[in-house]
Amino acid sequence: MSEVVIENLTKKFGNTIVLNHVNITIKPREFFVLLGPSGSGKTTLLRLIAGLEDITEGSIYIDGKKVNEKPPKDRDIAMVFQNYALYPHLTVFDNIAMPLKVRGLSKDKVVQSVKEISTRLHIEELLQKRPRQLSGGQQQRVALARALVRNPAIFLLDEPLSNLDAKLRIEARTFLKSLQRELGVTTIFVTHDQSEAMSMATKIAVLNKGVIKQVADPYELYMKPQDVFTAGFVGSPAMNMIPGKVVREDSKWKFKSDDLKLELEGMAFDRESNVILGIRPEHIVIDNSAGIEGKILIVEPLGSITYLDVVVGNTHLTVQYTGLVRLDAGMSVKLNFAADKMLFYDKATEKLINS
Amino acid sequence: MKKLNIVLLIILLIFSLFSLFPIYWTVITALKVNSEIFTTTPVFFPTKITFSNFYTPGQTFGAVSQTAFGSLPWLINSTVIALLSSLIGTFLIGAPAAYALTHYLKNVWFGRTVLLMMMIPEAALIIPFYVIIIRVNLINTWWGLTLVYLSFTAPLSTWLLMGFFGDLPRSVEEAASIDGLSAYRIFYRIALPMVMPGIIVSIILNFINAWNEFLYALVLTYMPFPSGAQTVPIFLTDFIVIEKSFAWGGLAAAGVIVIIPSIVIGIYAQKYLVRGWTMGAVKE
Amino acid sequence: MLLLREFQYIQVKMNRKQAAKIGLVLASPLLIYFLVFFVYPIFLLFRYAFTSSSGALSLSNFAAMTRDPLLYSSLVNTLYYFVGSVAVQFSGGFLAAIVLNSYTGRLRNVFRMILYIPLTISPIVIALMWLLIFNPTYGPIDYILRRPVNWLGSPNLAMPTIIVANGWEYVPFVFLIIYAGLQSVPKQYYEAASIDGMNRLQTFRYITMPSIRPIMIIAFLLNSIGILQGFTLVYVLTNGGPGFSTYILSFYIYKVAFTYFNMHYAAALSLLFIFIIAVFVYAMLKLTSVEKYLGISRAGGNE
Repeated sequence: MSEVVIENLTKKFGNTIVLNHVNITIKPREFFVLLGPSGSGKTTLLRLIAGLEDITEGSIYIDGKKVNEKPPKDRDIAMVFQNYALYPHLTVFDNIAMPLKVRGLSKDKVVQSVKEISTRLHIEELLQKRPRQLSGGQQQRVALARALVRNPAIFLLDEPLSNLDAKLRIEARTFLKSLQRELGVTTIFVTHDQSEAMSMATKIAVLNKGVIKQVADPYELYMKPQDVFTAGFVGSPAMNMIPGKVVREDSKWKFKSDDLKLELEGMAFDRESNVILGIRPEHIVIDNSAGIEGKILIVEPLGSITYLDVVVGNTHLTVQYTGLVRLDAGMSVKLNFAADKMLFYDKATEKLINS
Repeated sequence: MKKLNIVLLIILLIFSLFSLFPIYWTVITALKVNSEIFTTTPVFFPTKITFSNFYTPGQTFGAVSQTAFGSLPWLINSTVIALLSSLIGTFLIGAPAAYALTHYLKNVWFGRTVLLMMMIPEAALIIPFYVIIIRVNLINTWWGLTLVYLSFTAPLSTWLLMGFFGDLPRSVEEAASIDGLSAYRIFYRIALPMVMPGIIVSIILNFINAWNEFLYALVLTYMPFPSGAQTVPIFLTDFIVIEKSFAWGGLAAAGVIVIIPSIVIGIYAQKYLVRGWTMGAVKE
Repeated sequence: MLLLREFQYIQVKMNRKQAAKIGLVLASPLLIYFLVFFVYPIFLLFRYAFTSSSGALSLSNFAAMTRDPLLYSSLVNTLYYFVGSVAVQFSGGFLAAIVLNSYTGRLRNVFRMILYIPLTISPIVIALMWLLIFNPTYGPIDYILRRPVNWLGSPNLAMPTIIVANGWEYVPFVFLIIYAGLQSVPKQYYEAASIDGMNRLQTFRYITMPSIRPIMIIAFLLNSIGILQGFTLVYVLTNGGPGFSTYILSFYIYKVAFTYFNMHYAAALSLLFIFIIAVFVYAMLKLTSVEKYLGISRAGGNE
């Protein structure tokens, strides 16, 4: 149950910079998720923490001790790989026992530990089978068992749910989350799936192109994404992003774009500037009394929620609708933007302006 | 394309005929009575069958008192030497080298050198080998011949296994490293078991090559077990040379005895043999 | 060090020196064997070749080579043997592979097995079998031709006979490799070709041939090296005769070394032999630049 501090970490492959001066602190017992698209460097970061790659610049500290030069086996970490990496020629029992056997534990202790962890993960009946005889979900639990049997200080997972079918994935999410809470082990989890990150993490670090964009808990990440990339990446369907200007007219601040004009009540800005307005689909309300006029282009009914693609001039907006009245394509509607949920990003820096 | 298939079939049948006829001829010659062998009009479908060419009380395989059983001393030598060369070549030399070359010393020139080792002709190496083996007093011994045979089993094993080791999933070895295994242990307990099919191919292929090898055995051995390390090919050759003029039946019988295990192994180990021969040539 | 620069390693968390050390330990058996049984022998060959029988340093052996008519005829025979064997084996194997690949009957695998059986049989036995068949008095061939021909006893026919026997054993080898290559061409290429409206000939020319070109080259290379090294058949079937008409280089070297016991000259000849093969391989590789297909790339840093 250890703390991991990553200080100014840079990683280059040849001349390509894969991680650029990354600084993160992962507190004990956290379920810390590294979230980002492919190529963002999240897996590389995980592998650096594990010791599977060399550091170009910077340092990693586990429990206050610098581990840059230490091989993986000396870092008291455990890892689950995307394809589980089980030893194909060994039984499940031997797979799980391997980390203990290598460290010279007595046979009795080995058997006891393996039995314990298998029971906890509900794989006791599989102990004599070989990996190729197991389903994907079973293999995953064996991989988890092998990692956790040692009670490691740090638990690393590299997209372990990607190989599972959709239903299993949801089950596994809940399972992992409660398991982690039970064991209390500091966990670092890599994924590109933002819904996965949101549902499991206590803290999320969003990466893009080797740079950390934001570190926050899920709620804050969702509500107050600090930059355009994070705003667009977190949340599904994606946040609406409307480029335009904030201007001061008649001692009031207004947002103007080619197609929209909004009065910004109670908001203040330092100066007029080019901005991007971000607003989530669920924060746009259909109110046919007054509002911005638009026409429904596409209706996506998903049961309890309906998503509408509404065009205002040339601007497409995704709007969430939970009302009972049936809406069809072609209908005209009036939209209202929830005032306190509008996020303004400076167009040049792509960073959040209002707080 | 029925018509084309028929043409193809005919061609294939011709090839098959060509392929099988020598074997067929040898087998029936072994089973023929002398009168049907020594005729100027060859008999393609024997009317009488006899096993006397294989074994006749008192004399077998023709005039020379060599029984099928009598080839045992040579068989022993061949078996031991072939086993030693294929096993040592594969496990002791080939596997660790192949692993090293695909994981630690990944330089193109090392692979090329291995290939080079296989291209130097036996006829050129036999002279220095002869000198060396005599100097260390291993002439006409199992170890003498085995050491020389390693000159083709070791590189072949290495080359074959390089393909297999190169295909191993990296993540399993990384997991082992995280689990705490040292590099050597990863090789021995994780990687090596995972390339078992390749190991089998290597052992079988090398065994066959060693079994059939001729030139080195010819020069480096001169007496059968227990006085020497002469192998089956030498025995057969002497046999042919001696029997050439008269005991055709016996000759054919000797041939049949040697072919049968080859063909049987060839059919059963087909999968492995084909993989071995086409290895490196085709990515399957 | 120049060599160390090229190293890459899969193992984690160790620097280059550590990785190289582990690699060296693992490869040490091979390295030791290589030094003792390849490098040292080559050195011995050079030493013997460059000394005369009295032990003094001299080029007499090489001078003798230029005056040796038997060497000349051996080289010619070797060329004859090589070209003949390659022609027979390569065309036979190629044809067999193409035919079997195009055949769509259920007996396909049966044929494959039948065609590859000769490869499993020991060369000595093969020699034996062909001795029986080519027997001038009792053999079937002469009967079909209706006249006795002393195949192995006549200078003009001995070599072709050996070529045929050698072909019988190695056509399956070429066949196997090319057949495997043909089988590994993805079906989609043929399907796309048929949609595009290509006929059989065009498909063969534009789809099949380019796909198997690297494999053919490899088959040719492996086959050639095997042929050049051949020894057994000559020894068993003709012992170099009749006369010297089937003396090939490998056989000649053997004779010089172990029948006439002229080790120095034999060593020089061996070096010549190695040189010829080296030139051949180099030329082949340069002409076709298919080295990357030989599986060597596995060691060449493709991670």
